[in-house]
Amino acid sequence: MTDEGTPLLELDGVGHRFGAVLALDDVSLTVRAGTTLGVVGESGSGKSTLARVIVGLERPREGVVRLRGQTYPHSARGLRPIRRRIAMIFQDPYDSLDPRFPLRRIIDEPLRAQGLPRHDDRLAELLRSVGMDGAPLDSYPAEYSGGERQRIGIARALASEPELLVCDEPTSALDVSVQAQILNLLLELQRVKGLAYVFVSHDLDVVRRMSDELAVMQAGRIVERGPTAAVCAAPSHAYTRTLMGAAPATHPSLRAGRPPAAVQPSSLSRT
Amino acid sequence: MSADLVISGLRVGYGDRTVIHDASLVVPAGRTLVLVGESGSGKSTLALAAARLLPPTARVDGAIRLGDVDVTGLTGRALRQARGRLIAYVPQDAMAALNPLHTAGHQIAEVLELAGATRRAAAVGARELLAQVGMPDPEPVARQYPHQLSGGMRQRVMIAIALAAEPEVLIADEPTTALDVTVQAGILALARDLQVRRQTTLVWITHDFGVVAELADAVAVMYGGRIVEHAPVTELFDRPVHPYTRGLIATTRDTREGAPRTPFHAIAGSPPRGAAPPGCPFHPRCGVAMPQCAVELPLPEGVAPGHVAACHRIGAAA
Amino acid sequence: MARHLGIRAALGAVTIAGVVVLTFVLMFVVPGDPARGIAGPRADAETLALVRANLHLDGSLATQLWSYMSGIVRGDLGVSYVRREPVTDLLAARLPATAILACAGLALSVVLGSALGVWDGLRPRRSRLLATINVGLLSIPTFSMGFTLLLIFGYKLSLFPITGGTGAANLVLPAVTLALWGVPYYASVVRDGMQEVLAAPYTRTAVGKGLPRRAVITGHVLRNALSPVVTMVGLDFAIYMSGVVFVENVFAWPGIGQLQTQAFGDLDRPVLMGTVVVAAVIVVAANLAADTARMFLDPRTREQPA
Repeated sequence: MTDEGTPLLELDGVGHRFGAVLALDDVSLTVRAGTTLGVVGESGSGKSTLARVIVGLERPREGVVRLRGQTYPHSARGLRPIRRRIAMIFQDPYDSLDPRFPLRRIIDEPLRAQGLPRHDDRLAELLRSVGMDGAPLDSYPAEYSGGERQRIGIARALASEPELLVCDEPTSALDVSVQAQILNLLLELQRVKGLAYVFVSHDLDVVRRMSDELAVMQAGRIVERGPTAAVCAAPSHAYTRTLMGAAPATHPSLRAGRPPAAVQPSSLSRT
Repeated sequence: MSADLVISGLRVGYGDRTVIHDASLVVPAGRTLVLVGESGSGKSTLALAAARLLPPTARVDGAIRLGDVDVTGLTGRALRQARGRLIAYVPQDAMAALNPLHTAGHQIAEVLELAGATRRAAAVGARELLAQVGMPDPEPVARQYPHQLSGGMRQRVMIAIALAAEPEVLIADEPTTALDVTVQAGILALARDLQVRRQTTLVWITHDFGVVAELADAVAVMYGGRIVEHAPVTELFDRPVHPYTRGLIATTRDTREGAPRTPFHAIAGSPPRGAAPPGCPFHPRCGVAMPQCAVELPLPEGVAPGHVAACHRIGAAA
Repeated sequence: MARHLGIRAALGAVTIAGVVVLTFVLMFVVPGDPARGIAGPRADAETLALVRANLHLDGSLATQLWSYMSGIVRGDLGVSYVRREPVTDLLAARLPATAILACAGLALSVVLGSALGVWDGLRPRRSRLLATINVGLLSIPTFSMGFTLLLIFGYKLSLFPITGGTGAANLVLPAVTLALWGVPYYASVVRDGMQEVLAAPYTRTAVGKGLPRRAVITGHVLRNALSPVVTMVGLDFAIYMSGVVFVENVFAWPGIGQLQTQAFGDLDRPVLMGTVVVAAVIVVAANLAADTARMFLDPRTREQPA
C-alpha cells in the first residue's frame, strides 16, 4: 500500500461543461495507490462527471488527468493502456449488464477490449473472488438478484487487473440489507489486491466508512478535502456542515422535531 | 375527529402469486406509522391496497377499516368520493406520477375543482397548497410543467395534490428515497408539520432507519409479505426482537458510527424473489435460526406492551 | 422555439436542394436518350443534334444542373418534352386532385383508425378480431386492394365508375383503398399508446384523485395517447400528397402520381424532376408543420435540453 512517490491518480485544474452548464470547475485531487478517496455530493454536484472523467469516458475541457504520471492522451487508442488499469462500477445493476449476453461474455469484455487471453478458468476465478462461485458462465443476468448482478459487475471490473476502481454509487440501487455485503466485498478486495478506489456517493455515512480521504463537491467544485477523520470531526466549509446536519437521527430521542407521541399499547395489538 | 386505520388479515395476490400473506396492524388516529421493508416485503402493495389503487387483476382479502368505513368494500360513487378525502397516496416516483402535459398548478387545482371549487378559486387554492408544502415562491412553480421542476419540487407537488382534499390518512411510499439528504430533511420537516397542523394520520414507507428515527411514533417491519415486528419507535430502537430488525438497526448504526475502512455489519443473503420458503420467511438469512424455523411459520406474539414480533426465539432461551 | 423552427426550416431547404441534385444526377446517368424519344426512332443524327441543342441536352452535367437549379429559384421547372407545356402548369393542374385524395384517405384513416384504437385500448383485453383484421389488411398491397375493390364494386356491382374522373363517385374507391391500409395502422398505434398510458403512474394519480372514469380518460389518457398521432399524420400527409402512385394509376385518378407514371414511361425528364421537387417540398413542409404542432401539444418538446 505504500506509494513510490508518484500518486496513482492526479487531477489538475480539471474543468468540464455540457453546453452552457458548468459540470466541473477547477478540480484538483490525488489518489495514492491502495487508498480510497471518497467523493460526496448531491445531485448536480458534478460527482458523476468526475467519475467519468477519471475513467476516460469524458474528456475534460480544461486541466489534466494523470495516471502514474502519464497524462491521459486524447485518442481512444492512446487511452487503451490507461483503460486497462482503471475500471468502473456502476450504480444500476439492472442497467449496466447487457441482458442479451451470458456471464462469460459480460465478464470477459475488458479482456476482449484489451486483447488479453480469455480463459474460462480465469473467468470462474473472477466469479469466485466476488462470492459468486458456482455461477455458470453460460447463465444470464436475468437469473440473478440486484446484489448478485452488482457482484458480476465487480467481477467484470476486475478482469483486466486494474489498479484503480471508480465506484459510482455502487450500492444506491440495492436493498439496504444487501448494501453492506457489497461494501464488505469491496473492502475485502481492496485489502487482498491492493486496489485504490474513488468512491462516489451522495450518502455521507457510507462514504465516510469507506474512505481514507474525503472530498466534498458542490456545484462542480471541491469545497473541502482532507483525511476522512479530520473532515468529519471538524468540517471547515459551510456546505459540509449543512450535509452533516441534514443526516437523519440515529435514535428517536435525537430527532429534530417533537418527541414521538405516545401510542396506546392496546391500540397496537388490537388486530 | 379522525379515526384509527385498522388493517386485519390483509392478503393480496396476483394469479397464483401471493404478495402479502397476512398483514394486520393499527395506525392510531393522528399518529405516524413508519413501515419498513425492502423488495419483496409487500410494503408498496400494502400502501396501494389501503389507497384502493391496486390494478384490477389483484385479489384482495381481509379488511381495511377507517373508523366505521369499510375501505376495502367501497365501490362506485362511494369509492370515488372517498378518494383523496379519506385516504390519499403519494408514490415514490413523482416524475412518472405527474401528467407531463399539464402544469403543476393545474394538477393540484383539479382536485379542488372536483371538490366543488370554481376554476379561479381552485387556481388560488393550488398556490396556497404549494406554499403550505414549503415552496417559497409558488407562482412560477404552478405554471411550470413536471419536467421543468427538480426532484424535490415534484415530490412537494405530489404531496400538495394528496393534501388538496384534506385526507384523514396520508400514505407515502418512499417519497424521499431518490432525493438528496438536504432535500429529504425538508420533506421530513414538512411531514412533521402536517401532523401538527392537520392531525393527519401518516403511513410512511421507507427502508431507512434514519427516517424511522425522525418521523415515527410506531414502526412496523415487513419481510416476505408479512409483518414481522411492530412496536412504538423508542421501544423498537432500544429493544428490537426480530433478527431482521436487529440486523437492519445494527447495520444502520454501524454505518454511522463504525471506523473507516472496517467491515460493515451485514445480513447475509438477499430478500426473497418469488415464492417464500416454508416456515419463517427470514430463516434462510437468519443467523440464529433453529430447526423449527424452516418448518413452522412463527405467529406474532406480544413481547412488551404494544410490542409484537413473529419469531420462534421469543420465549426460547436466547 | 422560433429559433429552433427557423433552423429546421433552413435545414429543410438544404434537404430539398440535396434531393433535387441527387435525383437530377441519377436521371442523368439513366440510360435512354430523350432526344431519340422525342424525335422518333427513325430520326437522323442531324435532327437528333438539333433536338438536343433545343432542349439544352448537349451541355455537361454541371451546366445542365446549374441551369435547372437557377430555374427552380425563378419558379421555372422547365418544359415537358412530350407535351410542350411548362411543367409548373402541368403540376398545378394535377395538384388539387392529389390533395383531395390525400386528405380524404388520410382523414378516413386517422379518424376511423384512432376511434378503433381508443375503443380497443379501453377494453380489458384486446379485440382479437380487430387484431386479425388489422394484420390481414396491412398485408395486402395497395394496388392489389385497389384492383380488387375496382373489380368488385366498379365492374361487377357497377356501384362506382370504372373510368377516370374527379367526381365524388370517383373519389370513394381510391380513398377507401388508402384507408384500408391507413386504418389498421393508426388503430394499432393508438391502441398501443392507450395501453401504455392507461398503465402509467400518472393515470393512477388521476384515479387516486377521485376523478370519474370519463374525466380520467378525456383529461389525462387521450391527450397523452394521441400525441404521437400528430407526428404520424404529418409524415403520412407528405407521403399521400407526393402522389400515391399505385392508387392513382389503378383508379385513373388524375393526380401527380399518375402524371409521374406517364412521365416515367415517356422519359419526360422535366416532368419527372418537377414531381420530385414538389414531393420534396411537401415532405419538408409537412414535417415542419408536424413538428410545430407537436411543440404546441407537448411541453416537453419545447425546450432545448440544457
